[in-house]
Amino acid sequence: MRRLFRHVRRSASDIRSELDEEMRFHIDARTEELIAGGSLPKEARAQAEREFGDMEDAREYIARMDRATEHARRRRWFMEEFTQDIVYAMRRLRASKLFAITTIVTLALGIGANTAIFSMVRGVLLRPLPFPEPEELYRVWSHNTNVGNPHVPVSSPDVEDWRAQRQKIADVGGYRFADGASGLDLTGSGDPERLSIVFVTTGFFGTLGMPPLLGRLPRDDELVRGGADHVVVLTHGFWQRRFGGSPDVVGTALTLNGEPYEVLGVMPPELRYPTDRADAFVPYSSIPDESIPHIRPVRILAAIARAGDGMTEEAVLAELNTIAGRLAQQYPENESYTRVTIEPLQRSITGSVRVGLLVLLGAVAFVLVLACVNIASLMLARATTRGREIATRVALGAGRARIVRQLLTESVVLSLIGGAAGVGLAYLIVNGLLGLSGDWLPRGAEVRLDAVVLLFATALSITTGLLFGMVPALRSTSANLQSTLREGGRGLAGTEGRRLRNGLVVVEVALALMLVAAAGLMTRSFVTLLRVDPGFQPERLLATVFTINTTRHPNPQYASLYARLLENVRAIPGVVSAGAVKDAPFRGEGERWGFRTPQMVLAVGQDEPSAMIMHVSDGYFRTIGARIIEGREFDATDRRDAPFVVVVNEALARQYFPGQPAAGESLVIDGENVPIIGVVGDIRQTAMEEPGRPTIYINNVQNTRVKVTMVTRTQGNPLTMAGPVQEAIRALDPDQTITSIFTYEDIVSEAVSQPRLLTVLLVSFGVLGLILGALGIYGVLAFTVSQHQREIGMRMALGAHPRAVQRMFVARGLGLAGVGIAIGLAAALALGRFLSGMLFGIEASDPLTFAAVTVILLAVAFLASWLPSRRAASVDPIMALRSD
Amino acid sequence: MPAKPMDLLQGTLDVLILRTLAAEPMHGYAVSRWIRERTGGTLAIEDAPLYKALHRLERAGCVEAEWGLSENNRRARYYRLTVRGRRRLKDEESAWRRYAAAVFKVLEPV
Amino acid sequence: MLPVVKGTLDVLVLKAVSGKPMHGFEVTRWLEDGSGGRLEVEDSALYQALYRLEERGLVEASWGVTDNNRRARYYAITKAGTRHLASESERLTEYAALLATILAMEPDATA
Repeated sequence: MRRLFRHVRRSASDIRSELDEEMRFHIDARTEELIAGGSLPKEARAQAEREFGDMEDAREYIARMDRATEHARRRRWFMEEFTQDIVYAMRRLRASKLFAITTIVTLALGIGANTAIFSMVRGVLLRPLPFPEPEELYRVWSHNTNVGNPHVPVSSPDVEDWRAQRQKIADVGGYRFADGASGLDLTGSGDPERLSIVFVTTGFFGTLGMPPLLGRLPRDDELVRGGADHVVVLTHGFWQRRFGGSPDVVGTALTLNGEPYEVLGVMPPELRYPTDRADAFVPYSSIPDESIPHIRPVRILAAIARAGDGMTEEAVLAELNTIAGRLAQQYPENESYTRVTIEPLQRSITGSVRVGLLVLLGAVAFVLVLACVNIASLMLARATTRGREIATRVALGAGRARIVRQLLTESVVLSLIGGAAGVGLAYLIVNGLLGLSGDWLPRGAEVRLDAVVLLFATALSITTGLLFGMVPALRSTSANLQSTLREGGRGLAGTEGRRLRNGLVVVEVALALMLVAAAGLMTRSFVTLLRVDPGFQPERLLATVFTINTTRHPNPQYASLYARLLENVRAIPGVVSAGAVKDAPFRGEGERWGFRTPQMVLAVGQDEPSAMIMHVSDGYFRTIGARIIEGREFDATDRRDAPFVVVVNEALARQYFPGQPAAGESLVIDGENVPIIGVVGDIRQTAMEEPGRPTIYINNVQNTRVKVTMVTRTQGNPLTMAGPVQEAIRALDPDQTITSIFTYEDIVSEAVSQPRLLTVLLVSFGVLGLILGALGIYGVLAFTVSQHQREIGMRMALGAHPRAVQRMFVARGLGLAGVGIAIGLAAALALGRFLSGMLFGIEASDPLTFAAVTVILLAVAFLASWLPSRRAASVDPIMALRSD
Repeated sequence: MPAKPMDLLQGTLDVLILRTLAAEPMHGYAVSRWIRERTGGTLAIEDAPLYKALHRLERAGCVEAEWGLSENNRRARYYRLTVRGRRRLKDEESAWRRYAAAVFKVLEPV
Repeated sequence: MLPVVKGTLDVLVLKAVSGKPMHGFEVTRWLEDGSGGRLEVEDSALYQALYRLEERGLVEASWGVTDNNRRARYYAITKAGTRHLASESERLTEYAALLATILAMEPDATA
C-alpha cells in the first residue's frame, strides 16, 4: 500500500539505537550458536564479541552511512510529498471551480495592479539613472538670497566660472531646453524640419559621463564663443528617424538655421536627459547675442554638477556656495546670488511624481490585503465542509504540519495562478497608463516588466497565498476543531470561528474606508482644480507655433511681417479672431525682468522686484477671451515707433498698486518710465495649480521676439483651420517651418492630466475596496444565516417577528461596519498627511469628505446586511425545526 | 584444500552480499551463515566489515532495510535487494567472471 | 580491460618473474599478453608490489641492461618466492573459482 503519511523520520539517536540493536542481535545469535555447540555462556559471548571485530569503528562508520541515507531519504520524501500536494491541490481546485475562478480573478486583479504600480515605482524611482555613478549627479540652481528664491535658472558666465573655479567637484555643465522654444531649422537635406535642440555649455557631457554611441563628443574648445562651435551631436531617436541609423552621418554637415554644423557623433538611446524629445545637442555658445545675450543677468540655463570621489552632498553644496559667494563679491549683477541650491539629479527629475506613485503603491497594497482577507474568510467558511476530510486524514496518521503544508500548497498554487494572470494584466495596465496622452510620468520610457518586476510578482504571489491560507489552514487543523467535529459539533461555524470572521470583516471595512477616503479627497481636489478659472476661454482656440527666421526677416522688416501675418490669418474664413503670444499657457514661462514703481524706494542692497514678461500681439486677450479689467489692451495704434507701453495683470496691480486703479500709472523699467495702459485678469501660465504671478505684457511690435504662437478663435473645429493657417503663414514665407500645432483645450487637459490620472486610479481602487468590503459583510452574514437556520426557526417559532429577526441581522452587520469605520477613520486621519502633497484646494483631513465617506460606507454596509437578513426573515420555522 | 579460511579480496565483499540477498531477504547474521554454508567454510566473512558493507550498500541504494521478526521472534533488521542492486549484481558478476578467467590464464602452470 | 583486484597483484607479478628475470615494463607487457589483453596494471601499483615482494624476500633485484642498451632494474624470483607462488596461486584460483561459482548460481538455489 502506498503509505501516504507514513514517512517515518529517524533522528540521530534513533539511528544509533537501531544499529546497536542490530549488532546485539548478531552477537546474541552467534552466542546461542556457540552455546548450542557446547561452549559455556560467558565464553560463548566473549568469543562472539571477539569474532565481531572492531565494534567502535563499525559503529562510527555505520552511523555516518545511515545519516547520509536518512538525508537522501528525507529529500526524496519531501519532493514526493510536494508533488503530491500540488497534484492534490489542482484536483481540489478543479472540484470547486466557482471558488477557484472567483479567487483567481480576485488575485489577478490585486497582484496585477500591484505589479503594474511596482514596475512604475521601480522604473521611475528605484532604478538609477543610466549614467556612470549616477548618485554623484546633482541639479544646481542659483539662489537669490535677497528675494528668497532658491530655484533661479543659471547664467552661462556663471556656469563657466563655476566650472573653472571648481576644486574637488568633478565637473559642472549647463544646458538650455525649452520645449518648442529652443529649436533650429534643418534645411538642405530632405524636408525642412524644425528640430528640437538642447543647447549645452562646456562640461555638460563631461558631467553626465555617458560615452557616445558613434563618433565623439565636443571638445571644450568646440563649446566656447569664438571656437569651432558649429558642431552638433545627434540623439539616437533623431538619428534613426532622419538618417535611418546610418553610421555615415558622422562627419557630414547639417544646415541648421542656414549655417553648416558638423555632426560629431550620435548618443545612445539611453540618454533621455533633459528630455527624450530632443533631436540634437548644439553648443550654447553658437546662439548669437542678438538672440540671447550671454551676459550674467540673463539666467536661463539649467545646471548640473558631478561630485568628486567620495564627496557628500554637503561638500558639493559648500564648494559651489564658496564659488557663488566669490562671484557675488566680484560682480555687482550677482550681488544677490550668494548661494546655490542643489538636489540629487534623480530626485529632481522624479520628485513631482514621487508622492503620487507611493500613494498609489500604498492604495493598491491595501486592495490586495482586502482581497486576501476576503479569500481567507471564504476559505474559513469552506473549512467546515472540509473538516471531515481533514479529520479522516488525521486518523490515517498524517501529522498536523503535513496537513497544514498541504493546505498552504493549495493557497500558494491558487495565488501563483492568479499571479501569472496578474502579470499579463499588469502588462496591459502599464501599457495603457503609459500610452495616455501627455508625458505625465518622468522616465516613463524606462518602465517595463523586467526580471526584478517578475521576481516581485512571484514573491508577492507566494506571500499572498501564504497570507490568506495560513489562518484557515491553522484553524482547520486545530485540536479544538478536531474534537468538536468528532462530537458532531459545527466546528468553525460555531462561536470560535465567528469571532475570527467578524474580526476579518472589521479589518476589511477599515481598509475599504481608507481607500474610499483617499479616493474622495483626490476627487474633490481634482474637481476643485477643474473649476479653476484659467483666465481665458479655451474652446475653439487653435495655436500654431513657429519661429520667425531673422536672417530672412531682419528687423525692421520683421515688424511688418508680423503685422501682415496677423492680417492674413484674420482674413481666413472661419477664423473669428486672431492674436499672437510668445508662449501659450503651460507651454513656457516667458522671461523675467526687474522693475519698480515710481514711488518705490529700494534700500541699499535690496533687489528690484521682478515680474514674468510675456510678449503678445494686439488683440490677443480678446482672442483668447481674457478679461480686461481696466483700460485697454494693445491695438493697432501701438505701433513700433509709438511710445513704449505695457499691460499688467491683476496680480501685479493688486500687489503694487493696492486699492487704486493701475491703468494710467506707470512702471520704471530699465530706468525708463513706462505707462500702464490696461490691466488684464490673471492667466495661468506655469501650472493650473499655480495662481497668476505678477506679469507684464509687452507689445511684440515694440519689443520683438521671434518665437510666435499664433492663436486663432475658430468658428468650428479648430483643427480644421490648421491647414489654412499654415497656408496663410507660408504665403508670406514659403520656407517657414512650423514647430507645433495644438488647441488650447489640449493644453488645459494636459495641465491636469496627472491629477486626473491619479484621481481615476484612486477612485477605481476605492470602488474595488468598497465592493470587496461589501462582499465581506455579505459573506459573513449569509454564512451565519445558513448555519443557524435551526436557531432562527426556533426563535421565530417562539414568537419572534420576522421583522425583528431581520433587524437583528442588519444591526449585526452595521455594528461590525461601525467598528471598522471607526478604526478606518482614525487610520485615515493619521495617514492623511502623506496625501497632502497631491491635494489641491482641500486639506487631507477635510471633514466634509470624511463625513461623506462614512455615509457611503454605512449605506453599503446596510445594503450588504439587508440582503442576507431577508433570507433570515424568510426562514420557515417549521421546516427549520424539522430539518435535523 | 587449505584449512584456514580465506580472507576476502577487497571489493568482492559487496558483490558477495548482493548475491546472497538475491536468494531471499535476510538479516546480517543470516547473510554471514549463508556464505559460510555455501562455501563450506572456505570463505569467512568478518562481522564488522559485513555490517559496514550492508549499510554502505543501503546508502548506495542497492539494498533496502526493514525491521522484522526473526525465526525466534526477535526484532531483526532485514535487508532486501533493490532493482538497482540486482543490476549491480549482474554487472559485477560478469565482471568478476571475466577477471577470474584472465587470472586463470595467467596463473596456468606453464 | 579489468583493473587488477588489490591483493591479487603480488601473486600475478610473482608468476610473471617466475620464468625469467624481468624489469617492470616487461612484467606489465607479460601480464597483458598472458591474460589475452584483459588485465590492466597501473604502474605505481606494480612498483609498489615489486617493492613489497622484495621486502619479503620473494624476489631479488639487480641492475641489468635492456634490449635497447638502457640500464634497468631486473627482478628475479627467489626460492622462497617460488614456494609462495605455488601456495598462493592455488589459493587464488580456488577463491576465484569459488566466487565465480557462487555468483553464477541460480537465484533460487537456497537449499
